Amino acid sequence: MRTSRRLGAGRFWLAAVAAGALLGVAAAPARAKTIELGALLPLTGPGAVIGTEQMRGIQFAVDELNAKGGIDGDTVHVIYDDDQAKSDQAVLDFNKLVSLQHVPMIWLAYSGPTLATAPLATRRHILILNSGAQSDALQKASPYLVNTLPSTEEEVKVMVKYLRAHGKSTAAVLYENDAAGIGGRDDFVKDFKAAGGKIVAQEPVQFGQTDFRPALLKLASAKPQVLYVVTTVGMVPLADQLHEMNHKWLVAGTTFMNNPQVIADPNAAGLIHTQVEANVSPALMAAFQKKMGVEMGFFSRQYYNSAQMVFIILDHMIKAKMPITGANMRTELFKIKTFATPVPMTFTSNTAIVPIAIEEMKGGTEVTITHSVAK
Amino acid sequence: MLLLQLLVNGIVTGCALGVVAVSFALVYATTRIFHIAHAGVYTLGGYLAWSLLAHGVPEPLALLGAMAGCTVLGAAIQHFLYAPLERRRATHLIVLIASLGALAVIQNLIAAVYSSDILEFTIPWASAVVTLGGLRLTGAQLATLALSLAAFVGMLWFAHRTLLGKRIRAVASNPFLAEITRLEPRAVYVTVIAIASAVVCIPGVLVPLDLGLQPYGGVTPLLTATIAMIAGGVGSLGGAFLFAVVIVVLQNLSLLVMPGEWSIGVTFAIFVVFMLFRPRGLFAAG
Amino acid sequence: MDYFYSYLILAEIYVLLGLSTNLLVGVVGIFSVSQAAVFGVGAYIVSDFLLSGTLSFLPALAVAAVACIVLNVLLTLPSLRVSGDYFVVTSFGIQLLATAVFTNWTGGTGGANGLPGVPPPDLFGFPLEETRQILGFTTVAAGLGCLAFWLSMRAPYGRLLKAIREDELAVAAAGKDVLRAKVSAAALAGAFAGVAGGVYATYMSFIDPSSFDLDASVLLLTMVVVGGARTLAGSIVGPVVLLALPQLLQLVAIPTTVAASARQLLYGVLLIAFAVFRPQGLAGERL
Repeated sequence: MRTSRRLGAGRFWLAAVAAGALLGVAAAPARAKTIELGALLPLTGPGAVIGTEQMRGIQFAVDELNAKGGIDGDTVHVIYDDDQAKSDQAVLDFNKLVSLQHVPMIWLAYSGPTLATAPLATRRHILILNSGAQSDALQKASPYLVNTLPSTEEEVKVMVKYLRAHGKSTAAVLYENDAAGIGGRDDFVKDFKAAGGKIVAQEPVQFGQTDFRPALLKLASAKPQVLYVVTTVGMVPLADQLHEMNHKWLVAGTTFMNNPQVIADPNAAGLIHTQVEANVSPALMAAFQKKMGVEMGFFSRQYYNSAQMVFIILDHMIKAKMPITGANMRTELFKIKTFATPVPMTFTSNTAIVPIAIEEMKGGTEVTITHSVAK
Repeated sequence: MLLLQLLVNGIVTGCALGVVAVSFALVYATTRIFHIAHAGVYTLGGYLAWSLLAHGVPEPLALLGAMAGCTVLGAAIQHFLYAPLERRRATHLIVLIASLGALAVIQNLIAAVYSSDILEFTIPWASAVVTLGGLRLTGAQLATLALSLAAFVGMLWFAHRTLLGKRIRAVASNPFLAEITRLEPRAVYVTVIAIASAVVCIPGVLVPLDLGLQPYGGVTPLLTATIAMIAGGVGSLGGAFLFAVVIVVLQNLSLLVMPGEWSIGVTFAIFVVFMLFRPRGLFAAG
Repeated sequence: MDYFYSYLILAEIYVLLGLSTNLLVGVVGIFSVSQAAVFGVGAYIVSDFLLSGTLSFLPALAVAAVACIVLNVLLTLPSLRVSGDYFVVTSFGIQLLATAVFTNWTGGTGGANGLPGVPPPDLFGFPLEETRQILGFTTVAAGLGCLAFWLSMRAPYGRLLKAIREDELAVAAAGKDVLRAKVSAAALAGAFAGVAGGVYATYMSFIDPSSFDLDASVLLLTMVVVGGARTLAGSIVGPVVLLALPQLLQLVAIPTTVAASARQLLYGVLLIAFAVFRPQGLAGERL
């Protein structure tokens, strides 16, 4: 009968379609997901130079990963928001990334925004990664905040040990009048005195100030053996003005001193500084240079490294079929503990243990004079 | 020796600031516009020179080229911003806000094109050190001192000896009368801002030659320069220059007795007190 | 939802700041780039009290309001003695001096590191932990502020201020106390800024000098110019639009290298455009 044939035909098609669908679902790989992660960096404003470097590091890692097929087929996509290194913008952006875009994890930079979002991260169980700031306040700001580079205090300890071992007993400090500089100054003064040294003078300079002469003159009159420098910008004018003064000091600093222009400046020869080790292979540096058009700076390497760590964590989680949430990522991070990333990191606390070296500038290049591991 | 070196460094930087003060004073006395965008013109000068030098232009020409660029910018601000506002009978507040807007635009365009990084000039003679007795000065510092003083003397001569200068002073002292006697104040305004922009380019190039280029570094010097202008008395070019030097020298010397972080704060605090008790300045020209 | 709430909370805080700046700049006619400094003082006072446990939120807020009233009156006094342009430099100077104090006075303000861990606001001991609850509070606060502004503009006091703008000499000649009117406007502006500061500190739970610097003051000025001077609507429109702008900008795909400085550039362009073509802003009267 016509109707039954029609019904029969309909049922046949229905069954065929259903079977096809089932087969399709069973036969095809689990449909590739996109894992969305967040990054809150200063992309405009005074921190933009560093923020852009950091963004490049993350993006290079992500592109590399996706080109290789992602993590078990899942691609990673990072949503970047600009916080201008300002805390209120960071809070707004954090809420946006978490509420609107549902990211489980956010990269951060600069201590201000990181400190401001830390309580939010605790409340909302979002893993936040800091791979740029070294302020001591970050060490305990939130159980959900993980720092992938040692604090300034760790670097200071290494340098103080070296200075005292080489018989330096008097020091003056030149520091930037902001969180990074004041933190470094406080740490150095405390540690150097505790190691038996004497602080003979201290002078602040403003962020962005490039006329160091008055401060240097004042410090010079105290006749120190060592000048400890904690500034984040203006290193080249500082190196030049130091050179002008024809002083007899040992000038020492932290990773802040590391930038290609300073290293290349012949006037900077003789400067020593602690350096968070962030050496990646020359092949990687070349590939980065080729793709991004600029040298892979310190912060690019830091964030690239941090991204590799995230990929390892995600890989473990996907294989164990864990839902990708901030809480799970955090648990997994501390479970894995030691990461074989390009710069290896170990976590026994919220802050990574990374080797810290001391480098000496030699007018064009740098030479490593000691190695050390932070405790 | 420390004292002497601080003093000399202060005099060098003070003379550069003095030129900023004198050029700003010229504009303010004549047009009564608080031309805060002048800080942007000052900043642009350095960057223009840097670009020209990067293209191989010889140094004197680079300076002249930068001065030309600044002149154009200054004249454009007057012609396209201040003049239309004046025609629309805008209040003082609005003109101020427009000038602030122009400054923000200039600074951020510079930052967008050149990046916010501190840029360095790479001129050998600028960083060469000269020893005079116990004093050490760089080539850049010596050039700054020489050219700033020359610019100042030039401005004085211009204002008091040339016809144009006299015309400008006439307009400055009585715009209404100037209008009636066909001195054409508005044409004078463009000329004044053009000249002031060209002149401020000199420290705009020399100071970064010594200390590096930054997009947002113009506001504090300009404000200090306006303090100098007010303290010296509006209309007195000499007063503006002198006070600029005095303020910078005091800032430098204050390091001997005060922690460095307070020196700029103290400068403004002194000014605020000054404003309350002697607002007309020490050498007011009326 | 939290994201939208946080935007609203910040918008409401900035509405209070907008009212404050509008009073000073729009109504009284003083060029002020130091409103962020007063905002900062309110924030630090409330934070200090809450962190040391000496006072709870509402009393701390009251103290902040009073302090900022006094401060604002003191700061605007020079403008009454000195002509407009000289006050411009004074205002810049006050803002720069304030930033220096915030950054260097580590004892009172935590210095450059700021004050982390500020407790959430509380109503007589009942803490407002949820974003929704804080939003409720800020809405009430902003509402009260708007009401106060509207009432004072309507009242004879408001007409007096308007008359002062039109022709100060005539008003003085008519025997009206010009000084008192201006000073009370400055006082009200101080109160708004101080309260805004206290709410901001407890919502953010972390404050540092960078939120109260010259850029912040310029932003407040831009809000008045864009929103419109002297009107309630202008004081609301300005903050709402300017806070939304960065979020909107992010939706437009500007290449990041160009986006560097794009926001500040946009503010500058807005200032010029409104100054030249629309000095009354979107919803105000001619500045």
